[in-house]
Parts: sequence; structure tokens; C-alpha cells
Amino acid sequence: MSSLSSGRGPDAPHPPSDQEGRYVSLLTQVMSQPLDRDYQVVAQRRARGAAGSVVEGASIPADDEVKQRSLSITTIAALAVFGVMVGVSALQTERDAPVVRAERSELIEQIRERQSAFAALQGDLNDLTDDVTELQAEVAGDVQGLGTVTRRLDDLGVAAGTVSAVGPGITITVDDAAPASPGSGGVILASDLRLLVNGLWEAGAEAIAIDGHRLTSLTAIRFAGEAITVDYRSLTTPYVVTVIGDVDTLAARFNETDAGQAWIALEVNFGIGFAVTSSDELEVPGDPQERLRHARPREAE
Amino acid sequence: MIAVVGLVLGIVAGLLLQPSVPATLQPYLPIAVVAALDAVFGGLRAYFDGIFDDKVFVVSFVSNVFIAAVIVYLGDQLGVGGQLSTGVIVVLGIRIFSNVAAIRRHLFHA
Repeated sequence: MSSLSSGRGPDAPHPPSDQEGRYVSLLTQVMSQPLDRDYQVVAQRRARGAAGSVVEGASIPADDEVKQRSLSITTIAALAVFGVMVGVSALQTERDAPVVRAERSELIEQIRERQSAFAALQGDLNDLTDDVTELQAEVAGDVQGLGTVTRRLDDLGVAAGTVSAVGPGITITVDDAAPASPGSGGVILASDLRLLVNGLWEAGAEAIAIDGHRLTSLTAIRFAGEAITVDYRSLTTPYVVTVIGDVDTLAARFNETDAGQAWIALEVNFGIGFAVTSSDELEVPGDPQERLRHARPREAE
Repeated sequence: MIAVVGLVLGIVAGLLLQPSVPATLQPYLPIAVVAALDAVFGGLRAYFDGIFDDKVFVVSFVSNVFIAAVIVYLGDQLGVGGQLSTGVIVVLGIRIFSNVAAIRRHLFHA
């Protein structure tokens, strides 16, 4: 290489300049001088040497020939090296190819797998969405059913007396006769009160409370010593009976019943107080249900 | 003719012997092959031009291969190995095309 570098000398100017020393662009230089200038330089020098050798004698061409042959071996060696490189490179590419192909097919397989997984998940999602819609419809139905049940429970509760009730009705205030009044029977008995309540039920009462004690099917009206007890609680006169029902007909229908007739007789004969007032908005409390319950609905089998 | 025999012998030897290339050198083998290809076509053109010289050919072959490998190695160290490989291949490709065009002119006079 050193001999070549020195051989370049003045007749081989360095790129990027053309023969006249003008600047040329790198790409132009690459395109216009693809061949190593060394070939030309060496050829020129050899031409000069050959011209000199003609004058000197025949020994130099023979020497040149020996050199040519010895270098020919290196050329062939270089070409052989090149061949080995090409072969190895091709082999390597060939050897890598299955790996690359395997990787590629594995990637494709992975993509397919993920795609099918995605499709499966999408299907699941659709199913679940359908389920949700179904359940929502069901819940909506249940809510409607619950509303019905709740309303029915309220109705039943009012009828059974377990819940407090409001509505139009009448208030009946009954009181013992004044002490000065004639006769000894001017005291309201428990049976009188029972008669009154039964008459009111007969007249169409929907909810009844005596002095704030709601009457249910289990409420007892009894005597305990001197006092009347309702639901086992002693009451004092006057007794206020709150009745919810039809304001227009309740009092009139009560008067038509046997109980109503009896109470008219009590009022007339013994001076027992009996006053009826009607109002649009009355309230009766619910029964506190302090009893233990043993009975329960028989379940359908 | 003898040169072609050498080339074929080399290819056959490479394919048969399957010499193992060190893993560190493997990335530089393809670019070295392209550089060698440039040297070979340059030599072929010089042969047709009648100015072929063994010494120039061998030196250009070795230096081409070496420099191409070094450039790509440097590029790898700097993180621009791929781009530098592309640049080297573009330049070498242009040279190969030009030389092959000259060879074609010699062979077919066209």
C-alpha cells in the first residue's frame, strides 16, 4: 500500500477534484470514476517502465513475468477468499432463514390466537350484554311485582290493623252519665263498648281506635275491676272512638244497626253521652303487635 | 479462466467446509461481501481495460473488505450501524453498476 500511495504522487490528485483540479461533488466522482485510479497509475508507470526496458534489454520483461505469475496466485487466493465469503454468507442466510420463518410463523400464530381470543371475548361480551338486558327486564318486572305486593301488604295491614291508617271518618265521644242523672245504670260497660265497636264494623268501618288503641282481631275489650281495658290497658272516660270509613254513610248506617238502636236507648234511658263529629282527615295508629305469634301461613307443597 | 476456477473453488470450499464465523464478525460478513464484490468487478473492468494489476487488485480487495467492516463496526458502536451500512451499500452499489456498465461495453460493444 505504501508503494501505491507514493506512486500516486503528482499524477494522481486526490478526490474530490477532477484532472484539472476542479472540485466535483462526491456522488459525481463516485459515478464517473468507479474504477480505482491505482489501476491507471500502475498501468501508466508500467508503460513508462516498459519504454525504459526496451532501451535497457530483455531481462526486465522476464522479471515482470515472474512477478505477474506470483501475483496471479495472490489474485486467485483473493478470489478464493471472496468465494468462501460468498459461500459462508449465503450459508448463513440460508441457515438463518428457518429461524426467521419460524419466528414469522410463530408471530402469525400468535396474531391468530389473539384474534380468536378477542373474538371469543367479544362473544362473551355480547352474551353478557344480553344477560344484563334480560336481568334488567327481570328486575323491572320484579320492581313492578314488588309495587303490587307492597300495595297489597299495605291494604292487608290496614285491614289487619298492623299499620297506622289515615282517611276520612267520624269521631264518637261517649261518656258516663252525670252523677246526678236518674237511675243507677249510667256507667258505660265493656259490653256496651263492644256493642258499639261491632255496630261500627257492621256499618262499614275500616279502622277503629279507642283512645288511641287500634282495634284488631285480637284486641280485647274487657272489665278489669272498675275500669274498662282495651288491649289490656285501662282507659278513663270519656272514651274517644276514632273510626275511618265513609263519612256520608257511616253514622246513618250505624244508627240502623241493632247496636245503634241499643246505644240510642242507652242515651235516652241512662243519659250516657254520645257525640258524633265527622272530619275529612283522621289518623288511627297501628297495633304495636306485642304478642308472640305462633301461627304462620301454611306453605304450599 | 484460472481466476474463475479459483472463485468457484472458494465457493465450493465455503459451502462444503462451512467454516464457523465468530458471532462478533457475523454482522459484518454481508457488507464485506458487497465490498469484495466491488473490488472484484473493479478488477474485472481493469482486466477488460487492459490495465489489470494483481497487486492493485489484492490491495483494493483487502482494504475494501476491511474498511467496509470497520465503517459498519464504528456505526454499530455509535448507534447508526444500519444507516452507515445503507450508505456504504449505496456507494458500493453505484460503483458496481458503473463498472458492470463498462464491462458490458467491452463485452457487447454497446
